[in-house]
Amino acid sequence: MHTGYIPAVFILLWAVLPVHAQEADSMKVIQLEGVTVSASYEKRIVREAALPTDVANARFLREHFTGNLIQALEHLPGIHAMDIGSGFSKPAIRGMGFNRIIVAENGIKQEGQQWGADHGLEMDAFNTERVVVRKGPASLLYGSDAMGGAIEIVPLPPPADDQVSGEAVLLGKSVNGTLGASVMAGVKKGNRYTRFRYTEQHFGDYRIPADTIVYLTQRLPVYGRRLKNTAGLERDVSFHTESRKGRYSSRYAASNAYQKTGFFPGAHGIPDASRLTGDGDSRNTELPYSAVNHLKASMHHRYMRDRLAGYWDAGFQSNYREERSLFHTHYGNQPVPVKDPDKELVFLLNTYSSTAKIKLTGLPGWEHTAGWDVQYQQNRIAGYSFLLPEYDRFTTGLYWLASWRAEEKFSVSGGVRYDCGYINIRGYTDAYLEAWLDERGYGDEAMERYKWRSYPVKRQSGDFSGSLGIVWHPGDAHLVKVNAGRSFRLPGANELASNGVHHGTFRHEQGDPSLSSEQGWQLDASYAFEGGRVVFSVSPFVSWFENYIYLKPTGEWSVLPHAGQIYRYTETEAVFAGGEITCGIDLFHGLNYTFIGEYVYTANPAERIPLSFSPPASMRNTLAWEGKGMRAYVELQRIAAQHRVARNEDPTPGASLLHAGASVHIPSGRTRVECTLSIHNVFNTKYYNHLSFYRKVEIPEPGRNFQVLIKIPFKSKIK
Amino acid sequence: MKTIIKFTVISLVMAAMFISCDKKDSGDTTKPVINLIEPEEGDVLLIGSDVHFEMELSDDEMLHSYKVEIHNNFDGHSHETKADSEDTVDFSFDRSWDVSGKKNADIHHHEIIIPENATPGDYHLTVFCTDAAGNESHVVINIELSHEGEAHDHDE
Repeated sequence: MHTGYIPAVFILLWAVLPVHAQEADSMKVIQLEGVTVSASYEKRIVREAALPTDVANARFLREHFTGNLIQALEHLPGIHAMDIGSGFSKPAIRGMGFNRIIVAENGIKQEGQQWGADHGLEMDAFNTERVVVRKGPASLLYGSDAMGGAIEIVPLPPPADDQVSGEAVLLGKSVNGTLGASVMAGVKKGNRYTRFRYTEQHFGDYRIPADTIVYLTQRLPVYGRRLKNTAGLERDVSFHTESRKGRYSSRYAASNAYQKTGFFPGAHGIPDASRLTGDGDSRNTELPYSAVNHLKASMHHRYMRDRLAGYWDAGFQSNYREERSLFHTHYGNQPVPVKDPDKELVFLLNTYSSTAKIKLTGLPGWEHTAGWDVQYQQNRIAGYSFLLPEYDRFTTGLYWLASWRAEEKFSVSGGVRYDCGYINIRGYTDAYLEAWLDERGYGDEAMERYKWRSYPVKRQSGDFSGSLGIVWHPGDAHLVKVNAGRSFRLPGANELASNGVHHGTFRHEQGDPSLSSEQGWQLDASYAFEGGRVVFSVSPFVSWFENYIYLKPTGEWSVLPHAGQIYRYTETEAVFAGGEITCGIDLFHGLNYTFIGEYVYTANPAERIPLSFSPPASMRNTLAWEGKGMRAYVELQRIAAQHRVARNEDPTPGASLLHAGASVHIPSGRTRVECTLSIHNVFNTKYYNHLSFYRKVEIPEPGRNFQVLIKIPFKSKIK
Repeated sequence: MKTIIKFTVISLVMAAMFISCDKKDSGDTTKPVINLIEPEEGDVLLIGSDVHFEMELSDDEMLHSYKVEIHNNFDGHSHETKADSEDTVDFSFDRSWDVSGKKNADIHHHEIIIPENATPGDYHLTVFCTDAAGNESHVVINIELSHEGEAHDHDE
């Protein structure tokens, strides 16, 4: 029923497109003088991409800074933060998260444990100065996994003059007692620019506006309204050097991000009130906790000659994650490990990646790009518990993109890509589980079904992705985009091979080795108006997936301890639709009003129910004033209730939140110190984030937060 | 300008079409309701006897099955390994019953039997219930197994 008219919309669109293309041509004659070439980077990116694209520039990131990149990006329409406590988040774009969107830095796809609900993004928020967000199918650019969109962290160009420059930034937050600092220093001399940054953040247990939470049907106390053992720290170092020599330029970057954060003991294991009593220290991180270290090294080379440009990016990443928790087991026969008895889970994910492309410009109006991506991944595990198997994964893709532009006003761009991948997942059986099953008299059949914590799976698959879109820019005020794309995703190791109780969700999750790759058709459109005092944009989208992979409750009881029914990764038809609306008006005397609204509709038509993790409709009304080096704002954020839930997902009530803030530039010596004070959730409203990891434990979002950010830039010219 | 208006109209119509997809979902996402009457939170159950088990189940559409699971909670929670003493066995229980085809079920039985050799101590009792569509609810209570216990009796 839903799907009946989605192809119809596609057909309609294809029928409508050529008509408008012609009209665009006839209009350009009249408006030629209005064309401006000196568009800023943001405008250029937004205008060139046929996909709805937003750019968060340095100013945007600073105004919305919280020490957590995703929470800043959440202020862009269509982006949501899936929070894990107060400090860490993972991104979601238009209702898709986890393995369905990608984050790339310096051209290299960030690879952590993004499939997992309790794993955040390991990246230094202080070190991001420009972010490009592509909403919609980005498989064409990034291959598998980018079907829902891409978040690209792009370095700023080096300063023009020879100089030594840098900044010191201090961050303080009241909600969890954050103290953070970051220092950056860079040297630009001749053709070389080198930069170094060190960041450290320490935070305590975070405050919530609630005295109790409900976990596994038991009401548990929250002593002192602080969530015990959610304290932690983050320590990031990064280095980057770039140089240019004639037609050749290169960039080398290395970074290391370390995060350690405690788990609320009431949400880890079986609940018990006695473990939640405060220990008198709100800044300690005791067991259980997780520690993650993400090391990344990448290089970028570019060679330009006449009409040709060649690019090569290569990178190595090592993501080490460990979760420590007092030894516990469900099988009485499992002994305490002699060495490292608290080491519950360890993952070591190493990723090698390379992307090469050639761009051909200069043919009148045409631009062609051909590229080749390769990625090899290795996951290794340790610990007394089991969550994800060891695997090796190899993927490679070839693509060709072309765009044709007519006089800056109208362009058509599209491309095709073929990816293939091979994954080898190691089987894993648990001897203690086997003995436990045996002791309880389960027969051979049950034994065979349950003893595998991970099935051995070897899979090879390949798929096409492609897209075709137009950008029509009739004069400066209007921008129209339409894009249709097909994207795909190779199933992950957890979806293919897992079989056992997930320690975070308490569900028996079972993979299916026969799953095929996820395939979807996506249609996006956007219209933006920018004229005089008014900016306005609307961007609707609709996507249809032939075989969306989700965890389906089967109704079969699992025999594993503490497990209810078995949830099996299953393919189903799925529909996503929705859009964003933004509107901004310059009122008077530096006063500006902005409205952002967004909505996502999801459906599993076969079951006639929504999909899980559907973001609720929300809107932000912001009134800002700016003048004389000062800026102040008040924002009313309204989050609608989410009653459209999947099976065994709880509806989340809505909330209205008020935020406010002000920033001022204070001249001091040869520099200008920027101070920002902001208050998040002014009324200390108790509310829930439908997408938060802690939502299912009914832990509300952090309460009122005062934040101070002081930024001291410095610069000295080199003669 | 005409084209622009036209395009705006098209995009708005598209937006409206997308949103009009938002029909009332008719799939069942309502969980069954468990009203566990016996045993109750904190009850002391007598080792060597059967458990008086009583509850009411209901669902808006159709019930499917329920399961009772009992496991120990000796160390206060962290499920650490405990060396079994020679003469007792840590009690564990896991069994499911079919209640499909009904919207309401009154359950009353004595089918959970605590053997004489069960190790006394704190236990968790969990009742899981599913409906025909796969919606699941559960209730967890703390119980104690004791040689001297009688239901609702906390003397040691």
